[in-house]
Amino acid sequence: MLRSHRGGLVVAALAGLLAVSTTLSGCTAAGGRQEVRFYLSKPEAIPYFNELIAEYNSTHDDVRVTLDSSSNLQAGFLRGNPPDLGLLNYNMEMARFMERGALSDLSDMPEADRILPEVQDLVDQYATYPGRTSVLPYSVMAASVIYNKQIFEEQGLEVPETYDELIDVCDALTEAGITPFYATFKDPWTVAQGWFDYTVGGEVDVADFFAQLNELGTEVGPTSPVSFEKTFSEPVDRMQQLIGDYSNLDAASKGYGDGNLAFAKGEAAMYLQGPWAFGEIAKTDPDLDLGTFPLPMTDDPEDLEVRVNIDLAAWIPEASQSKEAAREFLSYLFQKDVMDAYNAAQLGYGTTTDSAPVTDERILGMKEYYDRADFYQGPSKAIPLTIPTENYMQAIALGGQADDTLRTLDADWARLALRQ
Amino acid sequence: MTTMTSAPPTRAATKDDHPVAHAAVARRRRKVEGIYYAFLLPSLILFTLAITVPAVIGIFFSFTNSIGFGDWEFVGLINYVAMFSDPAILQSYLFTFGFAAVTVVIVNVLAFLLAVGLTSRIKLKTGLRAVFVIPMVVSGIIIAYVFNFLFSNSLPIFGQQVGIGWLSESILANPDLAWTAIVLVTAWQAIPGTLLIYIAGLLSIPGDVYEAADIDGAAKRQQLLRITLPLVAGYVVINVILGFKNFLNAYDVIVGLTNGGPGTATRSIPMTIVTGFTGGDYAYQMANAAMFFVIVVVVSVVQLRLTRGRNEL
Repeated sequence: MLRSHRGGLVVAALAGLLAVSTTLSGCTAAGGRQEVRFYLSKPEAIPYFNELIAEYNSTHDDVRVTLDSSSNLQAGFLRGNPPDLGLLNYNMEMARFMERGALSDLSDMPEADRILPEVQDLVDQYATYPGRTSVLPYSVMAASVIYNKQIFEEQGLEVPETYDELIDVCDALTEAGITPFYATFKDPWTVAQGWFDYTVGGEVDVADFFAQLNELGTEVGPTSPVSFEKTFSEPVDRMQQLIGDYSNLDAASKGYGDGNLAFAKGEAAMYLQGPWAFGEIAKTDPDLDLGTFPLPMTDDPEDLEVRVNIDLAAWIPEASQSKEAAREFLSYLFQKDVMDAYNAAQLGYGTTTDSAPVTDERILGMKEYYDRADFYQGPSKAIPLTIPTENYMQAIALGGQADDTLRTLDADWARLALRQ
Repeated sequence: MTTMTSAPPTRAATKDDHPVAHAAVARRRRKVEGIYYAFLLPSLILFTLAITVPAVIGIFFSFTNSIGFGDWEFVGLINYVAMFSDPAILQSYLFTFGFAAVTVVIVNVLAFLLAVGLTSRIKLKTGLRAVFVIPMVVSGIIIAYVFNFLFSNSLPIFGQQVGIGWLSESILANPDLAWTAIVLVTAWQAIPGTLLIYIAGLLSIPGDVYEAADIDGAAKRQQLLRITLPLVAGYVVINVILGFKNFLNAYDVIVGLTNGGPGTATRSIPMTIVTGFTGGDYAYQMANAAMFFVIVVVVSVVQLRLTRGRNEL
């Protein structure tokens, strides 16, 4: 009785919200030109796309594209008033919108055929919607070990290709009085992004592991064929070993900003960060000679892989009032030279069959792996945000019991599967 | 007020005898009430729309598997059952209540002593009061970031030079000590507000009580324990209940200092609940929030009951 009464209230309240939102979305279609609200949240990319929008608007009389970089996506979808075109980071959180059918099908667009199949595959690793290609990758960030070329040259060191070679390099650096790795454990995300993802990704088939884990659901635990405890135990042990033996002693009190500064000053030879750190490092020392290589975790150079994430991907919501106009603008953004210029400026890798090869010295070390599709998406990104993975990894990095923490992850995973 | 509420029976009896007088009474009565309702209405509407309705919607969704949008279905009590076996949530309750209990004691003891000092005859009284109230006007997140810098950089340098082992590394990175930093910063921020209430309480005690005590030969310490403390008991109750409730909601200071770390050592209940919005665990954390609400209400009622006898001067 009580429940149905509450239900009635909720329905009434939702109806009220709906009424408001429909009147609001009605407004956008008014006026002579069709409105396309273009959602882009990456701050570094805004100036570039602002220019494109201005140019597009000046050549099209019937459409007006406006940039939206601040509205809340979740609330937009909830109210049935999402942006008309989104271009942003694609991850688990975005995948939920697609999985519940909130994003329209783009498979009939010519742009969909230009996307590299192995890159399109990255989208499907998070979620799929039957019969639809709802998300088109625009730019991929590849990340691996950043190293100081000058230090490596001075010490006569080669880029390591196996785990043993990595240990040798670290020992040689330590002997020369140089800190091998600069670590920043104060910011949990840096532990997850670099230390955890690189060590696990270097050894485990991440996509396959999570596919099995999803299948197991509530069965994940001490007796299941794969689990965090079982599968990740070895790489995480090695991660603790590298941290304990070869990273700066004050890592626990250092954050991302401290790390960029220290690495730019040459205080360590290697740094487990992504290409986004290059710009920050250059603020201190723009001439520092840097390179990248995948973290070797096995004794076979064939196993080397780099970590990637879909930095920008485009989608058009089902609820958009101006899908056709949004699709036209999407085609405009996906022109070869527009994409190439963006990727060159942001150190991204192209996602299409015709995209220009990367040329920047700092990320060139990852090109052969990217071209061969020897890449994985970070395992820390495949675990729903509701499980505090980054904090768990921080605890391990600070010397906590790795096995206990991995067992907790298994239990969290099973509990989440039970209720969703 | 008393005459108003006892009016109806009289009115019924005299209804036919004095219609004019009755009408006058009724008109006056209605007029007064109308104004009071008008005063209440804006707050009532805002409170209902901004707090009650969302809360009821949230509780409703805690019985579903909703992720905040899209399709959902009823799952009964699964979220509540899963909650009680979730070590992350249980740990956040343990941490939050322990933190709130410790902080509320520290804040009230220090604020009370400061208030006694600042209301006695000392030099620079006004200036000192201003100094102690300054932390109140700075936003929590800014305080947290400033202290974060001190704990991560300045204190370790000091510790290294003096040669204190546990201080030469950031205490924020130490799972056993990080909570002390949060208590310290929260207390630093919360003391001014508590202090002001105590000062008001102390100033409301008439001076002749102390004069009488002086004449009777009571020592200063006796005066503090036997006169001052009982007379500000009502203020202690207010400060403890409000303080405890506020510390249970600890969020911004923790985000700025440790962000729940190291590991999950300092994750408070509100921080866990917020992950429900960002992490697509909406219904589950709504269940957590509903539970939290019930517990806070129970704790407040118990506190009020326990201290009711001393609630009045």
